[in-house]
Amino acid sequence: MLTDIAAIIAPIFVCAGIGMGWVRLGKPFNTEMVTEISFNLGIPCITFSTLTRLTVSPAAFGEMAVIYIIATVLFLVTGAIVLKLVGLPLTTFLPGQAFCNNGNMGLPLSLFAFGDTGLAYAISTFVISSIGSFTVGMGIYSGRPSWGLVWRNPIIYGVVATLAFMLTGTKPPQWLANTTQMLGGVAIPMMLISLGVAMARLKVAGFGRAFGLSVMRIGMGFGVGLALAEVAGLHGAARGVLLMQSAMPVAVNNYLLAARFDRSPSEVAGTVVVSTALSFVTLPLLLYFVLG
Amino acid sequence: MGVIGDLLAVVAPVFICVGIGLLWGYLRKPFDNEIITSLVYNVGAPCLIIATFAKVKISSAALGELALAGVLCYAAFALIGGLVLRASRLAIADFLPSLMFPLTGSMGLPVCLFALGDPGLALALVYFMLGTLGTFTVGAAIAAGRMSFKEILRTPAVYAVIVAVYMIVAEVHAPQWIVNTTSLLGGTVIPMQLIALGRSLMQLRVAGVGRSTALGLFRLVLGAGVGWGVSVALGLGATARAVVIIQSAMPVAVSSYLFAQLYNRKPAEVAGMVLISTVVSFVTLPLLLYFVLHAG
Repeated sequence: MLTDIAAIIAPIFVCAGIGMGWVRLGKPFNTEMVTEISFNLGIPCITFSTLTRLTVSPAAFGEMAVIYIIATVLFLVTGAIVLKLVGLPLTTFLPGQAFCNNGNMGLPLSLFAFGDTGLAYAISTFVISSIGSFTVGMGIYSGRPSWGLVWRNPIIYGVVATLAFMLTGTKPPQWLANTTQMLGGVAIPMMLISLGVAMARLKVAGFGRAFGLSVMRIGMGFGVGLALAEVAGLHGAARGVLLMQSAMPVAVNNYLLAARFDRSPSEVAGTVVVSTALSFVTLPLLLYFVLG
Repeated sequence: MGVIGDLLAVVAPVFICVGIGLLWGYLRKPFDNEIITSLVYNVGAPCLIIATFAKVKISSAALGELALAGVLCYAAFALIGGLVLRASRLAIADFLPSLMFPLTGSMGLPVCLFALGDPGLALALVYFMLGTLGTFTVGAAIAAGRMSFKEILRTPAVYAVIVAVYMIVAEVHAPQWIVNTTSLLGGTVIPMQLIALGRSLMQLRVAGVGRSTALGLFRLVLGAGVGWGVSVALGLGATARAVVIIQSAMPVAVSSYLFAQLYNRKPAEVAGMVLISTVVSFVTLPLLLYFVLHAG
């Protein structure tokens, strides 16, 4: 069991560690470039390549997406109530409670814990949270919803291309499968390295508050995930992926958006860094629970 | 599917990634070559070597055989290339490194992977590593006039090769966490190198088209001929033979251009060789693959 968990978590620690080490060594790192490459090329390709090799039926993939939409709504509602009660501004802290690290952390975890099936489910939740973050999340930070951005999110093109093949019941030609698989391989390591870079670079403010919000993110996420998995009667890889994806730390993207709309970015950075650090403790426990 | 489909499955990923690199440069999207090169050399390549050799079952005899074939090929490139340059009164220091060390990394590795699967990739990595070592020692020595072994010790891939060879010889299995981590990080090498290749092709400043064309074409012919000759002479098996011919017939490496720039050895003409041999190989590569994979 322990070696199983190590095999799942080590890649994440090592890749993020390389990112942190990179910054510590004073080597240059161009986050903008790496984000462009992983976001515009890697993510759509890994989506297409995983889903067309799919070991998961389109119905199961869709079901997971619907469940994760419900999960996200519950994160938003619960988060809003708690933040109101403790008197913290929703415009600064709510998106971080709802949109967590489903991409750079959730995808490799699901892949190594449940293989390609797990990765396919994880992509389903990631599509929802990526779109949600750029529409609802950005709307909360900026004060107005931005639905138009749905069509500027490259992951959409990966999904649309996949659907075209799924619905016509054809397999992509080998050249397309090879190309997308190769380019898709860039997404996860690049995102993990930039997570490490962000961890090393982010300036943290309000440690105590960040800690409270981090515990809430991971705890609430786990609770909501567990409840939904029971209600929907999920088991195996689907249940494991839903639990893990729900209990991920605050996504780095929240910091970028908070900085863009000037919503106390260093406080949001605090929740990213503290919840990610906390997840290095909660992840092994979570995996033990999910796999056991 | 047929032959065309098979060839397309091998060549298309390479062309498309190079095309993305060209487009990336054309759109002036952010691209920091130094960071990508540093990531690939320090992190990606060593991981790819370890991940591949951990996955593939390969005997130390097969490994040694390919290493021997590789050394013979590089020696033949040097010898024949040197003679031809001498005969045509061209400076060996300017052009021999470009004739000697082809693009076995960014182009050779994916072609061997998609044509021959993981066993092909493993053997292609052996040929590639010899080339990397050769470029930093012999190649640099020819261009700079002095030999540097320090550079070898600073190449992380060398340590990865030592670990990989140890794993094969001692028949040690890497633990799953190492396999997972290295295959994740190793997966960045081929696509990033190809995109970087496309982007560099955009930026090359070319001069002396006539001579570059002749030398670029000579590289391709020399490579294919030597690769074929060595694999026949050693009586290599099908996979090893295909790897040796493919790797030998790769176009002029971009690293040759970087060296030429560094030591001021006619960089613009070397750039022309890179560009022309790469573009021509987009046509000759499918033919070569057809010959290697289908025509016996």
